[in-house]
Amino acid sequence: MKVVFADVGRCVGCRHCEMACAVEHSSAKDLYSMLKDEPMSQPRIKVGLGVDLLTFPNKCQHCDPAPCEEACPTNAIYRDSEFNSTQVEAEKCISCGMCAMVCPYDAITYQPTKEHGNNKAYKCDQCPERLTEGKNPACVEACVTGALVYAEINQIIKVRQTEIFKNITSQVIGKGTYKEAPENIKSYNKLQEKVAKLGPLPSSEKKEGFSV
Amino acid sequence: MNTEINRKVDARTFDNDEKQTMKRTLNENIETAWDRLEAQQPQCGFGQLGVCCNSCKMGPCRIDPFEGGPQRGVCGADAHLIVARNLLNDITAGAASHSDHGREVLETFYGTANGKSQGYEFLDTEKLKKVAQEIGIETEGRSNEEIAKKIGEQFLAEFGMVKNKLDFTDRAPEKTRKIWEQAGIMPRGVDREVVESMHRVHMGVGADYANMLLHSLRTALSDGWGGSMIATELSDILFGTPKITKSTVNLGTLKENMVNIVLHGHNPILSDVVVKAAKDQKLLDKAKEAGADGINLVGLCCTGNELMMRKGIPMAGNMLNQELALATGAVDAMIIDYQCIFPSLPQLANCFHSKIVSTSEKSKVPGAVHKEFHAESAYDTATEIVELAIDTYKERNPQQVEIPCEPMEMVSGFSVEAIKDALGGSYKPLIDAIVAGKIKGIVGSVGCSNPKVQHDYGHVNLAKELMKKDILLVETGCAAVASGKAGLLVPEAAKMAGDGLREVCESLNMPPILHMGSCVDCSRVLTLAGELANALDVGIDQLPAAGAAPEWYAQKALTIASYFVASGFFTVVGLPPNIHGSQKVTELLTDGLEGVVKAKFAVEPDPKLAARMLERHIMSKREELGI
Repeated sequence: MKVVFADVGRCVGCRHCEMACAVEHSSAKDLYSMLKDEPMSQPRIKVGLGVDLLTFPNKCQHCDPAPCEEACPTNAIYRDSEFNSTQVEAEKCISCGMCAMVCPYDAITYQPTKEHGNNKAYKCDQCPERLTEGKNPACVEACVTGALVYAEINQIIKVRQTEIFKNITSQVIGKGTYKEAPENIKSYNKLQEKVAKLGPLPSSEKKEGFSV
Repeated sequence: MNTEINRKVDARTFDNDEKQTMKRTLNENIETAWDRLEAQQPQCGFGQLGVCCNSCKMGPCRIDPFEGGPQRGVCGADAHLIVARNLLNDITAGAASHSDHGREVLETFYGTANGKSQGYEFLDTEKLKKVAQEIGIETEGRSNEEIAKKIGEQFLAEFGMVKNKLDFTDRAPEKTRKIWEQAGIMPRGVDREVVESMHRVHMGVGADYANMLLHSLRTALSDGWGGSMIATELSDILFGTPKITKSTVNLGTLKENMVNIVLHGHNPILSDVVVKAAKDQKLLDKAKEAGADGINLVGLCCTGNELMMRKGIPMAGNMLNQELALATGAVDAMIIDYQCIFPSLPQLANCFHSKIVSTSEKSKVPGAVHKEFHAESAYDTATEIVELAIDTYKERNPQQVEIPCEPMEMVSGFSVEAIKDALGGSYKPLIDAIVAGKIKGIVGSVGCSNPKVQHDYGHVNLAKELMKKDILLVETGCAAVASGKAGLLVPEAAKMAGDGLREVCESLNMPPILHMGSCVDCSRVLTLAGELANALDVGIDQLPAAGAAPEWYAQKALTIASYFVASGFFTVVGLPPNIHGSQKVTELLTDGLEGVVKAKFAVEPDPKLAARMLERHIMSKREELGI
């Protein structure tokens, strides 16, 4: 099962993924001509602010079974067998909002399309054209820090587990965490945490931290 | 909904007096910087870490702060160079801003010497002669205008590289100057360092991050001991050296039944003439005819600081008060010169009858009425603007006016000269108090407002903490205004200070925090430090003194922090500068610099922890001095 895996610790909130997604789904797949598209292409991935100025790239995870697919009264959402992803057939979509209501990631929005005047369910399609060409999805390709990775989930977890093993054993013998973010990033994150605490943006130390 | 708005108001500002207006902006969907900050989230981590380079068309490039991604830009620059290059670029923009302001004062000064200005005179001729003598100009048998002409010519030469020396650097103690010479950072010319910076940041020039950072210190010094100091000193000669004066501050300085003119920006050269014009009987009559009781001038930002220091004009607030002032619906005209002026002001003014009047050719704003200021026609322009404000007053809807509070009293005007006067003509009483430990040391707390932290929280809490520790504060810019709004700039505030500082303040009837002026007046802090260090025969770095910028946002603040550090002040900044993408740059600035200029930076957002760091530093300096 190949997924786009988000590593929160590496997301720096640059939103390159949002831009790349919008370009990939524009008419000419080009940044400058995209600006003339009507309606303008919108990203299907959203980088949002969490607590302590940390960020997270959120998108459709192509669940299986997919709640959206099961909830859709017109069968506009279906599973694509080739890449094991959920897709929207815009012609069948009646803009009822059911899929958005049941989505565990709140990753479905409604956008007008060029072909259909009304709003249609709009979400990540995992870039099928790119996958056919053997490329990574646009968001993954655009991610400089490796916060987004497209791979077999078990493969990713296997790699991450080796780190966990080292970390846990290192902590058990009192040598601290084996490997974390670089020193400068750690001190930066600590400062950001304090800034969040002192200001209006969400902080883990404020009661109201979770609503902006 | 209401609780949500109240929650936001509380998270946005620490100043209770402005909460009503803040609430109004939220209730009436009046967009402010806080809303735009929210809309901007998340802000890009590459930029915040300083590892984004957008300087050339091989890029833009960014360095992966983790392993795995690109570690060099297309040109080959690594994270350290990109961070250093960006920082030098920022510090240079700050230095250029202060120094170009200084140049404009100098031009007006020189124009006045040559009889080519309108509405100006030399108000402090004593200082005129003192500065002349200081920089080696003969005053005997010369008229004020002749002396001013010579001073003007000498300083004009400092902007280029004719002299390769800045006269005011002689105000620094010899030991401090020696440090600069050894480090190779003695500033050579105001414009020269700025232009050289722009050269160095071009692709294929500076590639050694440490060398880039050294030049950023030199550029900052050319501002502090050059451009800014020239701005301060010549403004004093033209408009009067500040004397201790009482005034008021906060949004309550706006008046319901007056024509309210807000003077916002940084340069005193036009606003000073507006003050003159607003006293013109014809204009006062016109205001009465329009139904107003009179003309109420209030300052904002550093133009406000300049006017309060010299003329006791009240202030509506600091940088983040600019939109709140308009949101009272009571502003008839906001006259802007330049720096720290939100480009969106006309949009907000459009919610009311208010007019934004731009005055500088350098700082045009779409949607503002442009009345361009030139020294030769300054008084006529000022008159026109006041007339425009009166006409605008007629369009004011009294029902829309909501002034949230009563003004707060504050004491201002602490120029170096005024401080010395207050001490009885010599620094001895201050030095004695420091030696005796009644005053442990001095902290220069300066800098901006930043919507990322609760408005004024950093300034006010740092000030309160330091006061308690018997540390005297000298403040400029938005820091001073924040303390003023919180009621800390009055002699009675000494009650909140530690016993030693309280005793000194009460015996002199002085507040525990001295308002020293605008942000270019951070040069007054340098002059004061130089004089104190000379009196003790030490370098500035040996003084029990330090700097702080708790809520900084501007490139100019980075420049001030840099010339503070380069001059020998340990300086704590409240928000992390965009440097943490490079461990080497961060280490050099927060540690390695100690070995170069005997001072360094620290970053600490929490004002209480920052106060502890500053106290520790001051105590270690006291120990080194054996006091």
